[in-house]
Amino acid sequence: MSIVLTRIDNRLIHGQVLESWVPYVHANCIVVANDSVAEAPLKKMMMEASVPSRMRVEIDRIERIIELFTSSSLDGMKVLLLFASTADALRAHQAGLHYRHLNLGNLHAGAGKTRLSCTIFLDPEDLSDLEELEDAGVDITARCIPADAERPWRKLIPKGRGA
Amino acid sequence: MAVTRITRIHVWLRLMLLQASWNFERLQGLGFFFAILPALKKIYAGKDLPQAAQKHLSYFNTHPYLTPSVVGAVIKLEEEQAAGLEAEFPINDFKEMVAAPYAAIGDALFWGGLRPLAAGVALFFAAKGILWAPLIFLLFYNLAPTWFRLAGYVRGYRQGIHSVEFMQRHRLPDWAIHTKEAAVVVLAGLSAFLVFQHLQQHQLPSWLGLFTLLPMILLGLFARKGISTLLLTLLTAIVILVTSLFWTDLAGWLETYKGY
Amino acid sequence: MSVELFSGALIALLCGLDRTAAFQVMISRPLVAGPLVAWVLGEPLIGLQLGMLVELLWLARLPVGAAIPPDDTQVAIAGTVLAVSLGRVLETSAIELQLLCLLVALPFGKFGQFFDRFARQYNIRLVHQAEAALLEGQLRKAEWQHLRGLLTFALAAVGTYAVIIGGGLLVVPVLWPLIEKSLVHSVSWLQLALPLVGVAVILGTINVSRALTLFCASFGMAFLLMWLV
Repeated sequence: MSIVLTRIDNRLIHGQVLESWVPYVHANCIVVANDSVAEAPLKKMMMEASVPSRMRVEIDRIERIIELFTSSSLDGMKVLLLFASTADALRAHQAGLHYRHLNLGNLHAGAGKTRLSCTIFLDPEDLSDLEELEDAGVDITARCIPADAERPWRKLIPKGRGA
Repeated sequence: MAVTRITRIHVWLRLMLLQASWNFERLQGLGFFFAILPALKKIYAGKDLPQAAQKHLSYFNTHPYLTPSVVGAVIKLEEEQAAGLEAEFPINDFKEMVAAPYAAIGDALFWGGLRPLAAGVALFFAAKGILWAPLIFLLFYNLAPTWFRLAGYVRGYRQGIHSVEFMQRHRLPDWAIHTKEAAVVVLAGLSAFLVFQHLQQHQLPSWLGLFTLLPMILLGLFARKGISTLLLTLLTAIVILVTSLFWTDLAGWLETYKGY
Repeated sequence: MSVELFSGALIALLCGLDRTAAFQVMISRPLVAGPLVAWVLGEPLIGLQLGMLVELLWLARLPVGAAIPPDDTQVAIAGTVLAVSLGRVLETSAIELQLLCLLVALPFGKFGQFFDRFARQYNIRLVHQAEAALLEGQLRKAEWQHLRGLLTFALAAVGTYAVIIGGGLLVVPVLWPLIEKSLVHSVSWLQLALPLVGVAVILGTINVSRALTLFCASFGMAFLLMWLV
């Protein structure tokens, strides 16, 4: 198994992932590590139904996904791993799911969030999560779709912000 | 109070302007609010109305051709809620649940599959110099989107939350793949046609045409690597312009091969 | 000339809105927008020829989510308007000039992304104004904010159009005498190459396994058929 892309996208599986990233990284398996979707059967079913049947989809709680990665059931797969938030990404990394690169896709706006790019809005907690990941050796970049330029996330932080 | 047919048509017409205020913060959020407002006005009255409307201003985005399906179902859910029926599902959860999957399905089916297919078909006519080619494109392309916009809306309102079953049952993502495969075949035929036509015009031997596959595959690989289309186009144009400077020599060389 | 540029701007506005803001019945595709504007200007064939060349180029760039593709609509429209109006000024109906106009218009399509991004950024304030209006209970005002977005997108479309036209009017008359001779030999090759580049890019980025095999087999098959029959 190899992880071809790890991405934070609050929309999880949607057009950008399936139409742009999957052909670009040649993924044949999408793994969604998200507790709330895993616990809502209908939501999970809808998400699975949006993926062509020739691709494998795994949607589960973060802990279960880590078990999945340590088992051999994903052998030979090219995995596209999705998180919905920085907190999930950090939690998974701390629990032993070691990815080396992290792509920031869509993190939508909300109260108290600062805009980093057109599609990325972060609050102070997100920033500290990402910093922690970076300290652990993860290379974090922002790129919405493959046709966009890849930019290191730190270059996007407005001056006077961040820790 | 039930939403009348006239109001439902009003909402559907407003959906044509769904993305007029598309923005990076709420995406289609404001548009969703705008579209559904006439229905909310019928369901809620007085003080409740602004509150109920406020909910629909939140972050929302899906494929514009499939938003009518969502709006139809949401009107139904709002009606049920106002009538005091126990909600199967909180309305906001429903919107959130369908948004990304519908977007994925619509993007794959319409943008990724149908658009290149329709363009490929219409370009055959355009290459022949037929002025109706754009109309052929519009007719061919718009059939399916119009059906989804209309029937999806009607089904959404009729079935409420159960309208999602349609998407699951029909394996639309697989249909998207089939459409894309068809598009690849049509575009291949189109390329062959353009090359053949070109060679005939210049009275060049036809077998040369098979060599076009090579640069095309190369360009495709470059594109896959993420090199921008604009750069590839301009490079190709420059290569052709430079080659044309030596054209007379090349033409003389080809002349000797003619007739083989 | 000003009549041509002005009617071009109207079509640019109409088709530009179709891209994102309204209807999305695909009159924004170059294959439709090009002939449409050319028909208004009285030379439909030029628009068909140019629209055909741009149609496939950026078709692989999908407007998925918040991603913004280059503005092929305005490239086709402005390229056609340039071709028609400069052709009348320079008193030539040479296909070489038309193609040059298109080639010059292409890089400016990137500006479309810039204008479009600006519009989508600007529209954020409409959401906040709508929210404020709603808090005061002013529904009509809140609705109105949404429609104001049409104006932003219209300005973005016409802005892109104006930039391409401006750039084209500056560049094409300078390049034309320099490149005319070389274009005479290469024009038909360029006409062939542009759609093929578009097809190649679609092929390279489409989400179909074995797209290449499928393509080569179909291409070979179609070619053999035309050759033998």
